[in-house]
Amino acid sequence: MKRRTLIGAVVATIALTVSATASLAADWPKRPINLVVPYKAGGGTDAYARAISAAAEGVLDVPVVVVNKPGSGGLNGANSVVGARPDGYTMMMTSGGSFLLSTMTRDTKIDALESFQFVAQVGQLRTSLMVPKDSPFQSVQDVIDAAKANPGSLRWAHSGRGGFHHVGGLGFLANNDIEAQDVPFKGGGPTRAALIGSQADFGFLGVQQLAGFEEQLRALAVNSQDRDTIMKDVPAFGELGIPFAAVSSPVIVFAPKDTPAEVVAAMEAALAEISAKPEFAELLASRGTGPVYQNGADAKAGLTAMKADAAPLVEGLSK
Amino acid sequence: MEIFPAMLSVITDPTLLFAIVLAAAVGMIVGATPGLTASAAIAMLLPITFYMPPLFALAFLYVIGKSGRYGGSIAAILFNTPGTAASAATQIDGYPLARAGKAGKAMKVATISSIIGDLMGDILLVVGVGFIAAIALKLGPPETFAIYFAAFVVIGSVIGSSITKGLASAILGILIAMIGLDPISSEERYTFGSFDLSNGIGLVPLMIGVFVLGEVFAQMESRRKATGDVEENESEGDGNSLTWDEYKPCLPHALRGGFIGAGIGVLPGLGSAIAAFISYGEGKRRAKNPEKWGKGALEGVAAPESANNAVSGPSMAPLLTLGIPGSTIGAILLGVFLIHGIQVGPTLFLTDKELVYQLFACGMLGILAYGFIGYFGATQVAKLILKIPTNVLYPLIFLTAFVASYSARGSMFDVTVMTVAGFGGWLMRKYDFKIAACVISFVLAKGAEETFRQSLLMSDGGALIFVERPVALGFLLLGVVAIALRVRGIMKERKLQGGLGDA
Repeated sequence: MKRRTLIGAVVATIALTVSATASLAADWPKRPINLVVPYKAGGGTDAYARAISAAAEGVLDVPVVVVNKPGSGGLNGANSVVGARPDGYTMMMTSGGSFLLSTMTRDTKIDALESFQFVAQVGQLRTSLMVPKDSPFQSVQDVIDAAKANPGSLRWAHSGRGGFHHVGGLGFLANNDIEAQDVPFKGGGPTRAALIGSQADFGFLGVQQLAGFEEQLRALAVNSQDRDTIMKDVPAFGELGIPFAAVSSPVIVFAPKDTPAEVVAAMEAALAEISAKPEFAELLASRGTGPVYQNGADAKAGLTAMKADAAPLVEGLSK
Repeated sequence: MEIFPAMLSVITDPTLLFAIVLAAAVGMIVGATPGLTASAAIAMLLPITFYMPPLFALAFLYVIGKSGRYGGSIAAILFNTPGTAASAATQIDGYPLARAGKAGKAMKVATISSIIGDLMGDILLVVGVGFIAAIALKLGPPETFAIYFAAFVVIGSVIGSSITKGLASAILGILIAMIGLDPISSEERYTFGSFDLSNGIGLVPLMIGVFVLGEVFAQMESRRKATGDVEENESEGDGNSLTWDEYKPCLPHALRGGFIGAGIGVLPGLGSAIAAFISYGEGKRRAKNPEKWGKGALEGVAAPESANNAVSGPSMAPLLTLGIPGSTIGAILLGVFLIHGIQVGPTLFLTDKELVYQLFACGMLGILAYGFIGYFGATQVAKLILKIPTNVLYPLIFLTAFVASYSARGSMFDVTVMTVAGFGGWLMRKYDFKIAACVISFVLAKGAEETFRQSLLMSDGGALIFVERPVALGFLLLGVVAIALRVRGIMKERKLQGGLGDA
């Protein structure tokens, strides 16, 4: 049963303005769009997908269904989407940085930059340097000094080797010419708990993980040139003048390679509209994240630049 | 005591009460249906709850999780299919009881024990939520490893009479657990270049394979030998009723299981399957009739059932205060909190205290609801199922094994794993290897390896870290003492047997 609403017509109009040959796009979407999230329900990327799904009402006249396909560090879901029918009804939303890194370090045919079409970026996850509240380290410089005084004596926690937190941490160590032993934990929650319990001297974890834990943890710096748009109180490596590797994780929607350009453009326009809605920002705010929209071409350029930055760091990691 | 006003406000809200009863029924049905799990049901119902008020949504999903865990025992007893990973220990004694026509009795024991365990866990949660969170924080990798070590030793009692075959089965389980990504370096191990194997072997398909398919194969073989002699599930007149005298010996096992489960629940990540097996192993070790365990002892149902339900309550403490989910259901609940704009963390009890205690109250009412439905409803179901002749029931079980292994993760590869594990399970039965020991080692090995290697990274490869940290040392000593006691026990047994000749 096809339900043509006024809003549906609006979407079609937007699609018309974006694309010259809009006949196909005007016909899309006719049935629910499956948005594959290659991680478990309840995670950071999943939250973005669910927020998109909730805020899509009124923008797209079909529901956006979130499908979780976890496993193999996000490659399981990517594998299922890369071979899906390119009709615009199966797309993937993933943490771009983790996805890029796992295709670089794991033995897979998928190329993060080439195997899919970039639809749009809707969010940004950044890693940050944190210490327990009772830690003697008050600034990033304290950490660097301690590591230089006793090379290899410090322990740092992250949420798994090959992830963007780990590579971000490696970039910080390499660029500042210091050594420290990493201790991998499974996922963001356990890493945060381990750091609160002082199982490590410092850690690299998502800056949004600080939300609600300000009394237990101290974020010394966020791993980027400028401050995060939501966690505004945390200084950035860039402003502190401390060298770092520009590794982050843009939350990107990908479509199978052969999806018609009109459909991709229509989805891009819809995502632009959805991520500008206040409901979307509200749904994300409690998690310490927010909307960061970029069109498909810009998202691809960003990820390409990150690949160049990360390549020397992941060289030693397994293939 | 914030729980009492919270309880009052929940009881006086009829729509909320209705939601709790509905959730209890839904959870039981999905838990009891092989192929559906509570976590899958929660994930499916999650989008609906976006449109509900927060308490309503959370209570609905939380109670489904609780009663689903209980519902798993029904499938374990009736079909020998673990409805959830947690009920694998229940089927060891539950299924033999069902075969002996005592399914109703077993299900009533499971129901009562679940209620006892679940309530014990919830009471601990309500009384000591802050305290539990503090403990969870203090336990780093060395402490967690020491707990895994002690758990390994305690459940060693399910290894059985042949130590060599028991150990071989355990090692097999450990080897299977090694398949996939290395927990520390993320390198691939034993994957032979296969992408599917790099994801590791799933617990659900493995269990369904060795327990269910293996059993079906074994039954097929034994039936062909006994030509034409069709084994019927005979139903005794008193098979479905339960008297106080029958439950009395189960009570200490249920209580001990409750303590074990609640203790395990405090530690994020260990999970209810481990709690159930530890409780089963510890119960068997202390039982007055250990020879009956595994062949249909009611106590063998009580011990694991109360333990796996007792995990539910305390595991909410690390979830709510530290944001560490102890299970899939926990991870989804975490998402629900955040979707409704409630910030999980140490400040939750300052900002949303009322909501949290109301949720706990809903949980307790949910336990009573599923207990009531289960105690009176399950027997009827059991009667119905037992009317089905075995030549219809076995093909049905065979079919559900395939559906169940596929639907858990929507993966055809899992069906392959299940089939291979089925043949493995059949061979292990045939040559008297211990399937339970294999599965438990599989469950424990991953976490034990991860925490062991994390500890060594923390200490620069030095083993002293396990001795220097008092909590870790304590659990290691506990394990060593348990080994010593077991060795002494075996020596005594040998002597006794020697004296009696080859009796």
